[in-house]
Amino acid sequence: MSASRTGGGPLLEVQDVSLAFGGVVALQGVSFDVREHEVRAIIGPNGAGKSSMLNVINGVYHPQRGTVAFKGRRHRRVDPHEAAARGIARTFQNIALFRGMSVLDNLMTGRNLKMKCGVFAQALYLGPARREELEHREKVEAIIDFLEIQHVRRTPVGRLPYGLQKRVELGRALAAEPELLLLDEPMAGMNVEEKQDMSRFILDVNDQMGTTVVLIEHDMGVVMDLSDRVVVLDYGRKIADGTPDEVRRDQSVIDAYLGVAH
Amino acid sequence: MQFFFEVLIGGLLAGVMYSLVALGFVLIFKASGVFNFAQGAMVFFAALTTVGFASMGVPFWLAVALALAVMTVLAIATERLVLRPLVNQPQITLFMATIGLSFFIEGIAQLVWGANVRALDLGVTDEPIDWLMDRTGMNVSKFDLVASGIAAGLVAVLAVFFNKTRTGRALRAVADDHQAALAVGISLQRIWVIVWTTAGFVALVTGLLWGARNGVQFALTFLALKALPVLILGGLDSIAGAIVGGLIVGASEKLAEVYLGPHVGGGIESWFPYVLALAFLLVRPEGLFGERRIDRV
Repeated sequence: MSASRTGGGPLLEVQDVSLAFGGVVALQGVSFDVREHEVRAIIGPNGAGKSSMLNVINGVYHPQRGTVAFKGRRHRRVDPHEAAARGIARTFQNIALFRGMSVLDNLMTGRNLKMKCGVFAQALYLGPARREELEHREKVEAIIDFLEIQHVRRTPVGRLPYGLQKRVELGRALAAEPELLLLDEPMAGMNVEEKQDMSRFILDVNDQMGTTVVLIEHDMGVVMDLSDRVVVLDYGRKIADGTPDEVRRDQSVIDAYLGVAH
Repeated sequence: MQFFFEVLIGGLLAGVMYSLVALGFVLIFKASGVFNFAQGAMVFFAALTTVGFASMGVPFWLAVALALAVMTVLAIATERLVLRPLVNQPQITLFMATIGLSFFIEGIAQLVWGANVRALDLGVTDEPIDWLMDRTGMNVSKFDLVASGIAAGLVAVLAVFFNKTRTGRALRAVADDHQAALAVGISLQRIWVIVWTTAGFVALVTGLLWGARNGVQFALTFLALKALPVLILGGLDSIAGAIVGGLIVGASEKLAEVYLGPHVGGGIESWFPYVLALAFLLVRPEGLFGERRIDRV
């Protein structure tokens, strides 16, 4: 992991975020930043609030306290489709693809925000609308090539094996050409080979497209290999923040993962 | 045999008209999971608005365009005032809201345009097609054929819209998974307006065709009931299902009337589709083309 990749300023700043569902506290005063062009991991035991954190960043949940600033702009309340419009794309822990639609169509929905033709032009299928479709098809085909899923382009996503579905979901997020990519357990339930493929794709995305990545992952080996810096959450609080090596040696992290005698 | 085909063709053509009504339901159900009880009222309102403008001396095509504009305003108002405040409520709540909406639309339609039955002339008469009559002796109505042609055209346009355009893809995406749709930047509110406008457009076409046949009158709202067996047969969330369901209902009710009717005293046309739908519910509750829902426990 070269240090040069982490040279940029903060793209995302999470400040003092607290989130509760009724009496259940999911996040408590969590602050961290994500620098431009880095791979940032969020780790922690089950129920630590990792997914809640991602959901706050892309506006699925609205925190009771604290702010999230993206590209230096603070927003009090962001909805998911607004977050997408600002350049935040994501994948889900339990794959959330459009199961009835083909791989190609799934990726095309990712380009939704980039397309400009009005509803009326589309309804009549006028020339500009058709040209626009073709133009975006090319971009999508490039992503399909990149992820090596040419052979299933026309297959309905629901029929694909799990590992490929994960890859399609990454593809749909990439189709939006995001500045910030949120990945919620991109390698959950995969075998070693699939994990290696996925790691390679994530690193390539980060390198070639310059996309900043925030990912949640359980596999420690993967996290240590992929990420530039790691945030550790436990019971909704941040207990450590630093490079993989620093985090690995941190006593509170070891306690959280292995348990500690009281 | 020739008589059989005559009945069958008549039934299929009538079935296309049922498909149109069902199509309006399917569009809204697919995208928002709402069973829109007000679809019948929308059919009535759209037809009455067109005829109303036309009777004020507005040219017919302009009247149609104005009615479409009114249906668009209705769709926007429905999203703002009915759907948005009820977001995340149980389906039954939304269903009840659409019942309320149907009373409101029926009321306002008659308040603005009056409660009289009005005639609507599309310039096509309900007469047998001469050359078909001469050649084969079969009695096929000119009006039915034109109506079917219009319906087929409408379905073709919708199919292209749904499959080839960004908005169509967004509509299918919303129907598939709300959460994922939001994450790729699709605004649910915008999609709902588009869906309700499209359903309004379908209601307008339906209203004009049915209105031309039976007169533009309050009874058009009961078309919603005629759509029920079509929806049960075809599946609530499938456009193909609405079409096939409509054809089955149309053909079976006419054939049943002609071949079964005499044995049981006749007049079975009006209730046969419901019995068929009931029987079908026992075998395949999700309909022919509907999505099978598997609940994991």
